[in-house]
Amino acid sequence: MTEPASATSQPGRRASGGGPALSLRGVRRRMGRETVLAGIDLEVAAGRLVVLRGSNGSGKTTLLRLLATRLRPHAGTASVFGHDLVSEAEAVRGRVGLLSVTGGSYPVLTGRENLGLTTSLTGKGSDDDAEAALMRVGLAAEADKQVRYYSSGMKKRLGLARQLLMDPDLWLLDEPYSALDEDGKRLVDECLSEARARGRTVLLASHEQDRDALTPDAIVELAGGRLRLVAPAGTAPR
Amino acid sequence: MNDVQAVLAIARKDLLQELRSRAATVATLFFTATTLLMMAFALGREQAVLASATPGVLWVALVFAGVTAAAQSFQSDLEDGAFDQLMTYPVSRAAVYLGKLLANWLYLAVLGLVLAPVALTLYGAALPGLGSYGLIALAVALGSFGFAIVATFYAALTANLQAREALLPVLMFPIVVPIVLAAVRATEGALSGARSPVGDWLLLLAGFDLVYFVVCGGLFHFVVDE
Repeated sequence: MTEPASATSQPGRRASGGGPALSLRGVRRRMGRETVLAGIDLEVAAGRLVVLRGSNGSGKTTLLRLLATRLRPHAGTASVFGHDLVSEAEAVRGRVGLLSVTGGSYPVLTGRENLGLTTSLTGKGSDDDAEAALMRVGLAAEADKQVRYYSSGMKKRLGLARQLLMDPDLWLLDEPYSALDEDGKRLVDECLSEARARGRTVLLASHEQDRDALTPDAIVELAGGRLRLVAPAGTAPR
Repeated sequence: MNDVQAVLAIARKDLLQELRSRAATVATLFFTATTLLMMAFALGREQAVLASATPGVLWVALVFAGVTAAAQSFQSDLEDGAFDQLMTYPVSRAAVYLGKLLANWLYLAVLGLVLAPVALTLYGAALPGLGSYGLIALAVALGSFGFAIVATFYAALTANLQAREALLPVLMFPIVVPIVLAAVRATEGALSGARSPVGDWLLLLAGFDLVYFVVCGGLFHFVVDE
């Protein structure tokens, strides 16, 4: 087995139990007949921010959905904070939060109702926290409007509000900058930097090349179903 | 967060969505009204024939309306990746299934309880007594529960398929036949005023419900986890 692409520990940033935040070894996944992930090795220490790059269809979304327990690996082993992705999926779900490309909100519910549902189902946050999250992403005035009347950017902001509300130990973000204006992109940078400062681990799939405000600990690229370390820990993306 | 709260939150969310969008309501009401009227014309003017056909027509209308409602309950979830999001929350798959089942059942049961007096009136079926309507209500409650168990399961199974509208009834109708037959017989017995066979059919219906509930509830996570 090859050495996994790795974002190693920084002092003061440790996963619960001392292990890595996420660990994948030889993970394979097919979608239909196509092998999308052909042996992924990745280890990320807690508190790290890792950017995942790759062309369209390279498998970034598949990898994030797998880490969020929406897809099962067909081979290999995968764990998040020491919990196996398959046999301890519910424990994993308690520690991850996924921001999908589409935002993941119910169109017929209002922004506030969507966050209320998140609070009800995750047990994380309160009504006040939801209000604060809506305020933070600039949706306080639109909170009682049904999401089907939101623009794509507003849906993405609502998804970001959900992440802030849940504040999971592992943030999984699939193209968080897409559909956002420059203010929105800066907001994402700020939220991710703050999450990292709180010791959260972030895995971010993005095509954005020059986010100066964001200094990832590592950049990995997904190509041909395999991961390659592009920039090692401590290297800013350029 | 316990599973009961999760079940209630998901059911409430589904019912609120339906209340707002009325996507299933419009289709099911139109469909049931059309079925009742078309069957009434097809059966002719013979009062005895119309009355004896009432239980069958009532359940045909309910079954087809139920398929539409169940398919719609997952369809609205799939928009914008909301179902994906739901499935990443720390909630058991059983709670997700029960939440959606509860919403589908309540919707179908209310539809059945509204539809029954309309069908009885339209087809001129006389009730032997007030107790008979109670028995019909019980048959509707048990029959719609069994139907919702199967429909919710198969709606989840076909939700991501391109030909889901065609596949859902094809897959679920053979499974749901025993429930519908027992429900029709129980309704028929209630209308005839004969207590003994009604009780037997209701018991059989409850038995089918239990078996399907255990099987579909136990298999649900295989259907939604890819």
